[in-house]
Amino acid sequence: MTDIPRPAWSSQFAADAIRDLEAVGPIGDLNREWAWGGSTGKDVRVAIIDTGIEADHPDLDDSVRGGIIIEYDKGAVEETQVVESNPPSDLFGHGTACAGIIHSLAPQAEIYSVRVFSPDLTGKAVQFARGLRWAIENDMHVINLSLSTSKNAYYAVFHRLADDAYFKKNIIVSAVNNLPAPSYPSLYSSVISVAAHEGKDPFTYYYNPSPPVEFGAPGIDVEVAWINKGHSVTTGNSFAAPHIAGIAALIRSKHPNLTPFQLKTVLYACATNTKRQSL
Amino acid sequence: MTSTSSDNRSLGDQLLRLLESLEITGRALLPSSDLPLLQSIVDASARIFGAAAASIALVDAERKELEFKVSFGAGNDEIVGMKIPIDKGIAGYVAMTGQPIGISNVREDARFNKDFAESTGYVPQSILATPLLWGDRVIGVMEVLDKISAPSFGMEEMELLGLFADQAAIAIFQAQQFRNISFAFVEGIKEILTDEADGDKAQLLAILERSSQDRESIDDVLAIADIFSAISDLGDSERKACLQILTAFRDYVLSQPGFMP
Repeated sequence: MTDIPRPAWSSQFAADAIRDLEAVGPIGDLNREWAWGGSTGKDVRVAIIDTGIEADHPDLDDSVRGGIIIEYDKGAVEETQVVESNPPSDLFGHGTACAGIIHSLAPQAEIYSVRVFSPDLTGKAVQFARGLRWAIENDMHVINLSLSTSKNAYYAVFHRLADDAYFKKNIIVSAVNNLPAPSYPSLYSSVISVAAHEGKDPFTYYYNPSPPVEFGAPGIDVEVAWINKGHSVTTGNSFAAPHIAGIAALIRSKHPNLTPFQLKTVLYACATNTKRQSL
Repeated sequence: MTSTSSDNRSLGDQLLRLLESLEITGRALLPSSDLPLLQSIVDASARIFGAAAASIALVDAERKELEFKVSFGAGNDEIVGMKIPIDKGIAGYVAMTGQPIGISNVREDARFNKDFAESTGYVPQSILATPLLWGDRVIGVMEVLDKISAPSFGMEEMELLGLFADQAAIAIFQAQQFRNISFAFVEGIKEILTDEADGDKAQLLAILERSSQDRESIDDVLAIADIFSAISDLGDSERKACLQILTAFRDYVLSQPGFMP
């Protein structure tokens, strides 16, 4: 145990902060083999709301099935336009990195790109909300958000979207802000919030019983796919969320009728720091 | 000193006088430039994070560019004043998304704008970049480059750099606001005057003139300018709405039976 003060988010999944948990009763009977053993993510649609995806990146094989761009348009209804983007492309590489992580875990999951950024720097939150709504309306089973907004004005907007997703059994996996400030929708209970831990094994993930961040997954010095068919080594909670999204896609594929809270319970029961009766 | 509608001085002269009083007060309160403080922040952050270099670039939203304002360490001479498109490179990613990111082995990073890095004579190996945020708005990007004792920067450093970035954002915002006060106030007054083609401009000028006569009035004018500046930052429609309210209020006051300009 060190005396060095740790900043808010990363402290929860530091090696000396992770606590062993216990899964009791029938929850203790859940295990990884039951949860996702043999699953490939088949028939699961995954939306990645981000900077776009480089669809022809060799790491992604043919997993990217389509994409849209949410463009900001002050004069339009809802101040946004939904524009088809097939095959999708990526502005920076961040969305491609997320897609690569998910594809490596759930190779048969069908990935869709929802780009919500544009160079005019305006309307970010409204684009983001519209992108999330598009994903819910188009019944994306798992929605990866490696982004968030800290705009309090959007608290209710995202809360409603999170509820809409919940009742459609769409699972939202959201990275928490990299800076220790409240961010939406990662803080809502029906959303699976994720921060980074220092490990490298993609199936090593931890549950944190003390909110605001519930899950810790690899996100520090992770080798990821990048634009121009490249690779990079990156750090950020952004790269932790798709690890959990990938595992969620495996579970959803094998158990399509689970509600988001049931799926979250399965994730909890199978977390690396949860003691289970049947391993 | 008194002022009447028979005063022959031009509108420009009167506004100039008003602005002088604003500037005198403003200079006593705020720094006229944010650069020395920003420079000290990048110097300190480079040393604290054990980085070979550090820099701050500010967003030019209209031109969709980032301009590097201050830097420390390797590549220092070349980078200040350089501009990059906002949809390119690591700094562009941070500006556009408002999210910090850590990247190592950036020589292999296809996203990194290599041409730009090479033109500075310095291609970094690892980068930690974080947004300068004012509320939800990204006003710039702060980067520390090449951690000397390790191949990359960690999550804790990412969060700590965010604290430095907060300081830089406050310095930038205050300096920008000071510049905006004068600009927005003059523009606002001009708009009221030009919109009101049939109104008695001299009456308004007389009010302004009286307002600038004592310190208390100057404080009031500054407070109004401050509010106007903040409203202008919200957007064109908010600024116009503010002007309409002010104009209506002025018309109401001028129309009161007992009012003597």
